[in-house]
Amino acid sequence: MTKKKTATQRKPSQPSSHGHSHRQGDCVALLRQLSAYIDDELPSDVCTEIRRHMGTCPNCEIFIASLQHTVTLCRHRTTPPLTSADRKHMRRAILDAANAQ
Amino acid sequence: MRAITPTTPPRQPARQKPDGFDRLYRDHVDLIYRYAYRLCGETEAAKDLVQETFLNAYQGLKNFRGDARVSTWLYTIASRACIRMRRKRKGQPEHELSIEEFVPTSEGEFRLQIPIDGLSPEEALQNKELRKALDQAIEKLPQKYRMALVLRDMEGFSAKEVGTIMGLNERAVKSRLHRARLFMRRELSARGITHHDGHKPGSLHS
Repeated sequence: MTKKKTATQRKPSQPSSHGHSHRQGDCVALLRQLSAYIDDELPSDVCTEIRRHMGTCPNCEIFIASLQHTVTLCRHRTTPPLTSADRKHMRRAILDAANAQ
Repeated sequence: MRAITPTTPPRQPARQKPDGFDRLYRDHVDLIYRYAYRLCGETEAAKDLVQETFLNAYQGLKNFRGDARVSTWLYTIASRACIRMRRKRKGQPEHELSIEEFVPTSEGEFRLQIPIDGLSPEEALQNKELRKALDQAIEKLPQKYRMALVLRDMEGFSAKEVGTIMGLNERAVKSRLHRARLFMRRELSARGITHHDGHKPGSLHS
């Protein structure tokens, strides 16, 4: 991904600040497909194209790594367990509410 | 835990607990609590949601035809109950997330990272700062995006199953999921969480 620029900032003859040149649209198009890429839902030719893009765009490479890390952390987020007392208390409350009708 | 009020009248009077309910409750209460906790982010609200879910399940058990897996049916009930409970609280309208807001606008924004390189996710999550950031980011996520993220990335459902549970088509699920992940990535990386010491899990570099 390249730095987002406005029309007045753009200088076509200069490479981007991280030393490569391609259209910003490539980066935005890639950003739209990243979840599908992570989930392995894209056709192989599109995956190849994304990998090729990442090879020339360090920012996109870092971005996708951080998105992958985000998904990994979400998948491993833990929750506190219910206690036996909680289970019993809730069961009683549910049955009381049902029988009160 | 609050007293629960049934939201829909039962089709038939429920005076006695069916044996099936106890089995249903025993086999699924931990699963639904985990889901409820992930949606609500705190214990008491999660317990309220569990009770609401199983009360509705109790009332609907006789009409459950087994078209879906029991767990999927319960997740669907829990998801609807969660939406109803939020409406009752009459909070602010939910913020819609657009892809455009996640397009980085500076070099620094691109290069923000989440410090788990070289660590297993379990090791990384021993970092209290990271764990807290993860919890807070999920809490900030608007509910409809949070639900898609929780179902897909935490509960492990396929996009199609998430669609069945949320009443959405697969494309809408994927769209919400993608925005949710981008939101989470931005929230986590923008906090500047300090790197974890791989040799001493739980400690942080200054």
